[in-house]
Amino acid sequence: MPLSKQLFTVLVFTKLSTRRFFRDSLALFFGILFPLIFLFVFGALSGNNNVSFNVAVINESHSPFANSFVTQIKHQKTFKIDKNATTLALAKEKASRGQIDGIIVLPRDFGTVKAGQATPSGTAEVLYNKSSSGTGETLTSVLQNIFKRINGRFVTTKLPFAVEGRELNEKSLTSFDYTFAGLLGFSIIGMGIFGPVNVFPELKKQGILRRLRTTPIKTWQYFLATMFSQSLTGMVSLAIQFVVAITVFHLKVIGNYLEIIPFTILSIFMILGLGLAIGGWAKNERQAAPLSNIIVFPMLFLSGTFFPRFAMPVWLQHVTNFLPLTPVIDGLRLLITEGKHLTDIGSQLGLITIWFVIIYAIAFRVFRWE
Amino acid sequence: MAKAIVQVKDLKKVYDDKVAVDGISFEVEKGEIFGILGPNGAGKTTTLEMMETLREIDGGEAIIDGINVAHDPTGIKRIIGVQPQTAAFQDKQKLAEIIEMFAAAYGERVDPKEFLEDVQLGEKASAYAEQLSGGQRQRLSIATALVHSPTVFFLDEPTTGLDPQARRNLWDLIREVRDRGVTVILTTHYMDEAELLCDRVAIMDKGKIITIDKPKNLIKQLLGRGFKKHQEVQQANLEDVFIDLTGKGLRE
Repeated sequence: MPLSKQLFTVLVFTKLSTRRFFRDSLALFFGILFPLIFLFVFGALSGNNNVSFNVAVINESHSPFANSFVTQIKHQKTFKIDKNATTLALAKEKASRGQIDGIIVLPRDFGTVKAGQATPSGTAEVLYNKSSSGTGETLTSVLQNIFKRINGRFVTTKLPFAVEGRELNEKSLTSFDYTFAGLLGFSIIGMGIFGPVNVFPELKKQGILRRLRTTPIKTWQYFLATMFSQSLTGMVSLAIQFVVAITVFHLKVIGNYLEIIPFTILSIFMILGLGLAIGGWAKNERQAAPLSNIIVFPMLFLSGTFFPRFAMPVWLQHVTNFLPLTPVIDGLRLLITEGKHLTDIGSQLGLITIWFVIIYAIAFRVFRWE
Repeated sequence: MAKAIVQVKDLKKVYDDKVAVDGISFEVEKGEIFGILGPNGAGKTTTLEMMETLREIDGGEAIIDGINVAHDPTGIKRIIGVQPQTAAFQDKQKLAEIIEMFAAAYGERVDPKEFLEDVQLGEKASAYAEQLSGGQRQRLSIATALVHSPTVFFLDEPTTGLDPQARRNLWDLIREVRDRGVTVILTTHYMDEAELLCDRVAIMDKGKIITIDKPKNLIKQLLGRGFKKHQEVQQANLEDVFIDLTGKGLRE
């Protein structure tokens, strides 16, 4: 058969399978709605971008200074004061359960004017769990900063050294911007792997693939049609996620869509190969389900979908660098929110291409029509 | 005698240590309906599947219209139409699209309506496959197997599970296909079907062909051996009563 006729086969299969996707409510749910739910959940979680502490404030002093200090920190965004933790014992219990980050104790003499002094004084205590000592120390230094400002009002001495923080305004990334690339990776995995893994064993069970095998259609034609229709439906799903992310969660897209789109299609192709390999190899659901979980779950946790990879130990970062999904998420992040160009992400492109070749070589070899 | 369009010589299939098809030979002439009969497990389906390129041929050879199945499976696929035992289609796909898809598998573009009308499904062109009855699904399956005008048409137990009306309807359809010059090879374990529909039959058991001839000749031979039915010969049977009472009209 001439190549033009063979490609005609691919186009018709692409068209029909794309149409089928948009008629299938289950496919629409998992392909479009499901990633959106995750987008909303993670968007809401990372919506509050400021660092804040859940604290209990135990005010044992009732000096006017102590009272006004408490009102002041209540109005600070940095602190969320737990209103239920009214006694020290209650507060300690909450801290031990990790429900609050620390307890600020203002002792009885806090803010009183002591004999021989002209201004109020006192020492506030910050209590925290050993397990959250990092947070505790940060909390302490935040309070120290506040006291420094108050001290400045009472005593006018200029200290020789100081530090001053200033915000960087250019290209500042919110944590949502960071999360978004991971969520895109999650939906690429969801559609690319769970799609064929659920569908293929069913098609085999019903003998639908077997029937196709009695026609001259070749595996590459069938694969190519699946790749095309998957990238079409995938692009629709991702486009909806972009729209929601931009309008609802103020995602700042710095990169160029003409670079983002081809990169995304390449990524969808590569990840879909995993689905084609697993679904194409498996004789039934019982073979497909465990294998796909073994492959998908490590990637979900280790490739930076939900948990940032920079928080991992260095050796683990090195290992997970090479997972198929990692260059996808890193590349998307660099392109979308960091304004990098395709020419800047050669290592990601290279890794995706290598995986593409390996995965499809395996997928072609293990594909079974029945 | 016309030149045989299908030549099967010494065909063999072995699964592990079980011989499924044990060196069978037969020829099918152009334009006839050839039936392969036999009880379950006789090797009918395996024989068909080897000729359809679905199973590897372990011994012997099958030649269809001059093409050796083992040497050129793609060439064979282009000239055969296949109806599997159970007709299954993907959900959420319209009948017209299914025809379009199968034609595309051969690199061809057809008018789906025309093929659907041939099997009395013209009105259902925009229905989904999952909305069809068993008989309708079998007819759709036949339509999908004919999109590329095959030379030989294989049907595996086409009427299993259908009601008497749908069976008769399918027989008519198979005859029409034959009348268009397509050679039909089918398997069945219904003797009435074989007797009414097939020009010639091969009876298989335990992987071997026991006899091949016209149904009439086989009956004659049996009677010639002095066979007598214990039962009194009736001029009609229960199925005749059923059809008389419920009519030949197709139910769906």
